[in-house]
Amino acid sequence: MKHLTACLALIASPLAAQDFSEGSEARSWNLYAEVPAKFDAEVVDVLCTLTGDCPDDCGAGKRQLGLVRAADGALILPLKNSQPAFTGAAVDLAPFCRQTVTVDGLILDDPDLGARNVYLVQTIQAAGADRIKANQWTKDWARNNPDAPGKGPWFRRDPRINEIIATDGYLGLGLEEDRIYIEENF
Amino acid sequence: MRPTRLSALAAALLLLGAPIGAHAQEATRIQVTGEIIDTWCYYSGVMGGPDAVVGSAHQTCALWCSAGGIPVGLLAEDGTVYMVLRVGDDTESAGGDTLLKLAAHTVEADGMLYQRDGLNYLVVAEVVSDMDITNRNHNDYGNVPSFSIPDPNK
Repeated sequence: MKHLTACLALIASPLAAQDFSEGSEARSWNLYAEVPAKFDAEVVDVLCTLTGDCPDDCGAGKRQLGLVRAADGALILPLKNSQPAFTGAAVDLAPFCRQTVTVDGLILDDPDLGARNVYLVQTIQAAGADRIKANQWTKDWARNNPDAPGKGPWFRRDPRINEIIATDGYLGLGLEEDRIYIEENF
Repeated sequence: MRPTRLSALAAALLLLGAPIGAHAQEATRIQVTGEIIDTWCYYSGVMGGPDAVVGSAHQTCALWCSAGGIPVGLLAEDGTVYMVLRVGDDTESAGGDTLLKLAAHTVEADGMLYQRDGLNYLVVAEVVSDMDITNRNHNDYGNVPSFSIPDPNK
């Protein structure tokens, strides 16, 4: 038991003390639990890492991708890319499947909600390449939806979203519930 | 058997979640009931407190975030969040149709739980029951964010 305790202490202390904010140029989003974090990591398909189900292309942006941090092996889950537009990070990270990159962004650390090792990625830099912004999602959507009708941002024009709203309403409770709510609140 | 230094080190590494093998971590089968949520709004607080970014109040934003590829979670009745990586045969956890159609629904899921570095990951084998939207909180919080419903007067 003494050996185990000593090993845990030796290994855990340096990891717990690591600060990944050094050198970060991440822009604040003024979030309660944000901490700037720049680190090297391997881009992984999370489902592959956990279950062994591993397509060659890491899912081509359709699966959630993770970042296995080089410094401590922690699996970081990016929830967001850098666009303030309801967009995740898998499309931005997919071209770097199984590559080691340097990412910069914001870690969210809120133990009360269970937010640990979740991330907003702002920039990605592969070895020997220029640093790029993680802002490809809306461009990818525009390429895939050239005929989406209407004006405004993608989320107002997305055919899949609009089909669900047309049936279930904005509240998801049916069109009559929407009608009553809108009449009372707008 | 008394552990050797080497086995104690291996045990320590396992406890710390260090990667021992490349793939296929240990998992536990679970059945869990909860709401399918948008994890970014829930964890970040960017749209309001955790009670406001769920349910009917947040339904449209949940659709936007799910279609936008933000990880979808299952918020269990005890407050635990499970990141959903697969539902049945559908592995498209970033913007896929199956999870989009379940946005804000309360479901009972049967699947395998993986735990890694403080997060819970759920591979759903089957949605045992889909109870639709049960959290009718729009009268308490309004529609969140306020622009999620276009103003009919503009």
